[in-house]
Amino acid sequence: MSHQVPSDLGYVPPDGGWGWAVVFGASISVGFAYTFPKAFTIYFKELQAVYSISYSQIAWITSIMCATAYGGGPISSILVNRYGSRPVVMFGGLLCGIGMVSAAFCTSILQLYICVGFITGLGLALNLQPSVIIIGKYFLKRRPIANGLAMAGSPVMLCTLAPLNQFLFDNFGWRGSFLILGAILLNCCVAGALFRPIGVAKQSVKNQMIEEGKEAPKEEVTKMSMEMSNPAYAPAETKTEEEEEKDCCEKINRYLDFSLFKHRGFLIYLIGNVLMFLGFFAPIVFLAPYAKHIGIDEYSAAFLLSILAIVDMIARPATGVIANSKWVRPRIQYFFSFSIAFNGACHLLCPLASGYTGLVVYSIFFGLAFGMVCAMLFETLMDLVGAARFTSAVGLVTIVECCTILLGPPIGGTIIDTFGDYKYMFIKCGAVMVLAGTFLFIMNYYNYRMLAKEEKERKAKEEDPKIVRTENEGRSNWNKETLQDGPELEPLRDEQEGLKTEVNGTNEV
Amino acid sequence: MTTEDASQTQGNLTQMPTRLNESSTEPMTTTRIVNRQTRESISDHSPVGHGVSTPGPDLTTQDFKQAIEEKASNFTYVEYEILLSGVSGTSKEKNITLDNPAKVELSCRLASKYPHLNIVQVAWKRGNETIKHINKTENSWSIQLTVTDENELGSYSCTLKGEEEFKAVFHLQVPKIEGKEKPIISYDGDSVVMICKSSSYTPITWTWYLTNGSEQIAINDSLMSDKYVIDRVPANTTHLKILKLTKKDDGAYWCEAVFKLGKSKGKLKLKVLTFMVPLKPFLVILAEVIILVAIVFLYEVYSKKKEKHAEDEKEFEQVEQLKSEESNGVESSSTRHRKV
Repeated sequence: MSHQVPSDLGYVPPDGGWGWAVVFGASISVGFAYTFPKAFTIYFKELQAVYSISYSQIAWITSIMCATAYGGGPISSILVNRYGSRPVVMFGGLLCGIGMVSAAFCTSILQLYICVGFITGLGLALNLQPSVIIIGKYFLKRRPIANGLAMAGSPVMLCTLAPLNQFLFDNFGWRGSFLILGAILLNCCVAGALFRPIGVAKQSVKNQMIEEGKEAPKEEVTKMSMEMSNPAYAPAETKTEEEEEKDCCEKINRYLDFSLFKHRGFLIYLIGNVLMFLGFFAPIVFLAPYAKHIGIDEYSAAFLLSILAIVDMIARPATGVIANSKWVRPRIQYFFSFSIAFNGACHLLCPLASGYTGLVVYSIFFGLAFGMVCAMLFETLMDLVGAARFTSAVGLVTIVECCTILLGPPIGGTIIDTFGDYKYMFIKCGAVMVLAGTFLFIMNYYNYRMLAKEEKERKAKEEDPKIVRTENEGRSNWNKETLQDGPELEPLRDEQEGLKTEVNGTNEV
Repeated sequence: MTTEDASQTQGNLTQMPTRLNESSTEPMTTTRIVNRQTRESISDHSPVGHGVSTPGPDLTTQDFKQAIEEKASNFTYVEYEILLSGVSGTSKEKNITLDNPAKVELSCRLASKYPHLNIVQVAWKRGNETIKHINKTENSWSIQLTVTDENELGSYSCTLKGEEEFKAVFHLQVPKIEGKEKPIISYDGDSVVMICKSSSYTPITWTWYLTNGSEQIAINDSLMSDKYVIDRVPANTTHLKILKLTKKDDGAYWCEAVFKLGKSKGKLKLKVLTFMVPLKPFLVILAEVIILVAIVFLYEVYSKKKEKHAEDEKEFEQVEQLKSEESNGVESSSTRHRKV
């Protein structure tokens, strides 16, 4: 990656220093967001008995929690675009705490749906997205490593939350446990406190003005020259009208960048990921029941999941390091597609695994593949859209993925019930993921080629006479400057530079 | 499957294979026919013979084989066998669960790899009482019992004495009810549900007891219906719901399942806590969160002050530089403006 070209953020990210504290905070937030719904299932039996309800009714709690956590993505994005990561995460932590504490005093299942499902889910949503966003603001050179480390928080938290939940339940019953879990979730506020704001603050703008102070008079010159060259002021008026229209769209786009739907890389990522999530979570959900089905006892079946978590824990930072190496980073999209296809291949081979040792081997490879995909999930999106537009991108992606994530396990369950055999579920998941991986691979090859073409065209333009270029540039600069102010100034103008950065990356190797 | 089939089965009693593994499906169909017959004659609970013939948790060792059940007169008929092949002196044990009256045949068989041993003495005993046995085959001996009430349950042992001594013990018991080892935790003013399950045997009735000192008092839910609610759905589980808990409800509870051949109890423990108990860890963690957040913010303010101090010094230097530059370049910039 070229380090001399400024990133599309408008400043050079520190790539270290306080960034590592931010990674630590992010891993806590991400860990809670992904593992809390899973670890919550321990309370199901007790709640079922107390409220006299069926399993499917109680399972709605985690479904609502997951749906809100992923579906609340756009809300997170809008809030982060407006207020920055830190206040949003702290507020999210507070919401989680309030949700669980009020759940401790619930007297009906509906109240539980609201307190645990909705409020806590919303709090988790406000934790997850901002944590991932702020990594993109603090890291560029070492971003894959930072992402890998932050996502590694998820298996670590799972290994600690699950036994902790059991301990709390044995000692305090379910009401006391909810109360204490509320306090534990408040630790997300600590993670949020670590997210020191960074970016185009007023101070740095001032510095830039001091440094580039001499350029300003130049721009004014071009502006004035343009006005002089236009015969009448009518165009200026029409321009103001256009300004107002654009103002509306730009206002919405300032909060949530819908123009991303025209972004080629974003669309490729979205379609590929939506397909992938259909088969991503189902095997984990059904691994233990499948093991019990072929005759393995409960504890060994649970141990399979522990093996998965441990391998996952190691795989994520390791993938981050590999993805950061100079051979892989420019082609990170290929690496991502490969890991998805690898995941799919594991599932396709699972039915061939016989007996406990076969399943252990499957768990190890599955843990490896799962960790690889998760570590690069957000890194690849950042790579495609650039760190500045990532805020909106992540929100839009999560709300679309929300549907398939929720559909995955129930579809798997229906397949198992229809055929009475687990192997068709594994085959379906494997096939879907191999398809997704191949799709991403081919489309990203196409995308890289298009980016290279655009880079060539831009370089061709640069060789044109300079006057024409400065006029064009000046006009576009003027438009953008009058229409926005604040943090959007830098990102939108530098989006082209951002593309340049990525293309430079591909061209370097 | 009609009653005629069943009577045919009855006729073929002796020809039915007596040694069957758990995996074969034949005995299962026979069992069903038999069940329909026996249901009319004995009790109205379905898994009567079924429960006995399906392999329960006890029947996992390799050195015994279990027979299918066959119908004879009014009772279900079961056979159990222990294969003796181990080291001399060790005794093999087997637990047999019976919930309804049955005719039981217990046999001890010597493995065929010991043909050279001359078994001189074979004794079947229940405690000190000797039971007359029959020599079923060349190297197996058995006794037949009719178990009608709990007096006939207990431990029956066979001893084979010869060059080496072998012993096997059969324990005939009612189904065990498992309680919970870990206490169930609940809070003042809350309600709790305690569940007892009987896995494959359906008891005739369930009774709940609470412990008052050293006594066990039966819980009458119709008498104290605002405090206790007893539910029995499905038939082999029972739910005791206790409302408006107080400290006094703390203690041990027993759920008792009554079978034809006896009763069986399971123990559950209830602990009633006040809300102060979880509140303490909650406040501790809350304090920790507040302290950590304060530390992070204070550190940030401190490091910003340091930075600002360093920046101020830099700016001061820069301003001085600019001043000197301006004084040199002021003429050139003014000419530029004039041009436009």
